[in-house]
Amino acid sequence: MTVIAPAAGARVRRRGVPWLRLIVLCVVGLSVSLPFVWMVSASFKPRREVDEVRIVPRDPTTRNYPVVLNRLPDPGTNKKLDLRFGRWYFNSVFVAVGVTVLQVLTSAMAAYAFARMRWPGRDTVFLLYLATMMIPGVVTMIPNFQIMVSLGFLNTYHGLIVPAAFSAFGTFLLRQFLLSIPPALDEAATIDGASHATIFWDVVMPLARPGLVALAIITFLGTYQSFFWPLILLNEDQLYPMSVGLLALDSTYGRQTELIMAASVMNVVPLIVIFAVFQKFLVKGLQLGGVKG
Amino acid sequence: MKRGFLLALLLFAALYVVAEATRERPKSDGVVRLRWATDANPARTRQTALFAQKIPGLAVTVDPGLGNDQTKLIVQCATGTGPDIIDLYDEQQMSSLIEAGVLVDLTPYAKTMGFGPDRTFPAVQGALGRGGRQYRFPCNVWANCVVYNKAVFDDHGVPYPKPGWTWDEFVATAKRIRDTSSKSGQTHLPVANWLNLWFYQDPLIGRGGRYFTPDGLVSLADSPESIAAMRFYHDLMHVHKVVPTPAEAAAMSSQGGWGSQGINWFSSGKAAMIVIGRWYIVQVPNYPNLKGKLGAVVLPRVPGRPSSGVTGTRAAGINVKSPRRAEALRFLQYLADPDYGRLIVQDGDALPPNPNLARSGQDLANEIIPDPAFHQPFVDAMKTARPADVSAFIDSGLAARWLQERIEKVENRLLTPEAAMRSLAAEINAQIRLNLERRPDLQRRYEQVTGRRYTPDWWRNYQAQRWAGF
Repeated sequence: MTVIAPAAGARVRRRGVPWLRLIVLCVVGLSVSLPFVWMVSASFKPRREVDEVRIVPRDPTTRNYPVVLNRLPDPGTNKKLDLRFGRWYFNSVFVAVGVTVLQVLTSAMAAYAFARMRWPGRDTVFLLYLATMMIPGVVTMIPNFQIMVSLGFLNTYHGLIVPAAFSAFGTFLLRQFLLSIPPALDEAATIDGASHATIFWDVVMPLARPGLVALAIITFLGTYQSFFWPLILLNEDQLYPMSVGLLALDSTYGRQTELIMAASVMNVVPLIVIFAVFQKFLVKGLQLGGVKG
Repeated sequence: MKRGFLLALLLFAALYVVAEATRERPKSDGVVRLRWATDANPARTRQTALFAQKIPGLAVTVDPGLGNDQTKLIVQCATGTGPDIIDLYDEQQMSSLIEAGVLVDLTPYAKTMGFGPDRTFPAVQGALGRGGRQYRFPCNVWANCVVYNKAVFDDHGVPYPKPGWTWDEFVATAKRIRDTSSKSGQTHLPVANWLNLWFYQDPLIGRGGRYFTPDGLVSLADSPESIAAMRFYHDLMHVHKVVPTPAEAAAMSSQGGWGSQGINWFSSGKAAMIVIGRWYIVQVPNYPNLKGKLGAVVLPRVPGRPSSGVTGTRAAGINVKSPRRAEALRFLQYLADPDYGRLIVQDGDALPPNPNLARSGQDLANEIIPDPAFHQPFVDAMKTARPADVSAFIDSGLAARWLQERIEKVENRLLTPEAAMRSLAAEINAQIRLNLERRPDLQRRYEQVTGRRYTPDWWRNYQAQRWAGF
């Protein structure tokens, strides 16, 4: 009896825990998703309702979307807004794709050098490389900008892409991931006469796929949403990404919240699609990358 | 894997080609294009178009920033790639950029090119420069009034405010809105608070108060006028309860910060009054329900004094490193042009720089609000308004930030108004003493303004004189 009683109690606890967990997760999930729900709701509200706390619009309208897309005039002023929404959308996607491809490639190469090759001072260099992550972005902003000026990269797409193509974080993430791949595979390939390039492309990279996808998603999301660097680097509105272009809806003419929200809903669609499709890789990549030190 | 990367790189290359191929290139038409750092206001489109039309061979493009955030400007100017023309939103910002050597001294050009201080409102002339030198010329000029929603007043059966009213009458009116049930059954906020600074600044200037002594050597934040102004703001919120506290505002707000919320509440017909400049009406077309319902009245006064409040200007200066200085000067000339001023009148973007275009409410009547009576108070306000004073002995941005911190502490009842203003004065005065100790240029300026030799213990001597009736 003395043995059974605690076991029964444990069964009771086990039954109770999933419910409690579910409630906690529901509360957390709701609070996290509420801003997103509000964003979608506000995008379907007329201007007079947008300040109201209620989620479901009293007088829902889809008009905000064609207004942002320059198909219909702004109902307040009866004038089209002159926004280059399509161009900004394209710029956001294009720059995010470019940065993602290049950053994953350069990070993978650097991670290979730090994880799979032996060379004098490797760990010291890695620590120094890692230390750059500790420097706040504000501190390096003016030097980075000066480099862009010297290279003639102001007001160009490559000014947005090249500085973001190299990442200490990406290198760190993939190095940790590569450390989890057994070194015996490299050794076997070396005995078979494979060069570093062959080992990198044909042995290590296929096994590092979850880590690469995780880094690609993180990079894409981060670049797609980046705001400050494009704001200071660009002076032509045709080059703006969506994040900077939307400033036009928040001026002394008033904050046109319902239009900002309609634009934001369209803006986050690619992010949601990417996250939904690849979230399995994201979680796996982060878990594996975080295990081995 | 290799193939995947190759495909991704090809996709990127294809996108690059598309991006570059569809990019509009500047036409090689001989037109000189200036860059104007200002906000991304749609009104700029008409203003830049008119400039290009009036001055063939020149064009200006807007380089938008992030409101009052100066990071973009600082980064660009520090690397010598700043815009040609820089919008300066207040005297503090101008002073900081003068200190940093970013702005061109316009004095030698202004008179001959027709954009000297005498071409704008007397109230803001002193705020266009420092030490007798001019560094900017107004794009627009503003002074605050109380704008009210007649529909809300009618709903509560409260008479509209009249010129000559006092701050006590302002509070009484707000309380009546708060306490009287409306015919529609709706409740309304008596006063929408847009910029909390103005609830301190306007009553301060209305009481004849100042930020600094005229020589700029001592903060007057702890003067009786200053403490009374801060006490008034505190009481509006916590004693009279006619302005929402930050916590109440956050609870009422469905979107983000407190800052813009006051305007949105007022525009949506949820508030009876707002203290604001004429520039507010550029938003009115966005809110058709406000049509014909807005009234304006000059700021309330302190008994025994005329109505008075703060005035300011969004004014353009020129980057000292601009390679197109001569052309940028033409832009300032354009700002003084009556055609530009008329555009400001039509758009309702505050008051035009040229006072001849704003002599009466009739001059300012436009399509947005055709009633001259609405515009007249803004003309009247400019006659008595005064810009907030700054000191050459302390970074104005720093002093403004410290003031804002104190205002927020008073709003949240973390400090009493008296304690907040005394600690502010002590902090500013300590910084002024430190700056003077460290900087020979400020010591020279001290000698200029006092006519006395600088000594490290100047403070004690100065205090003695001050108490002797400075």
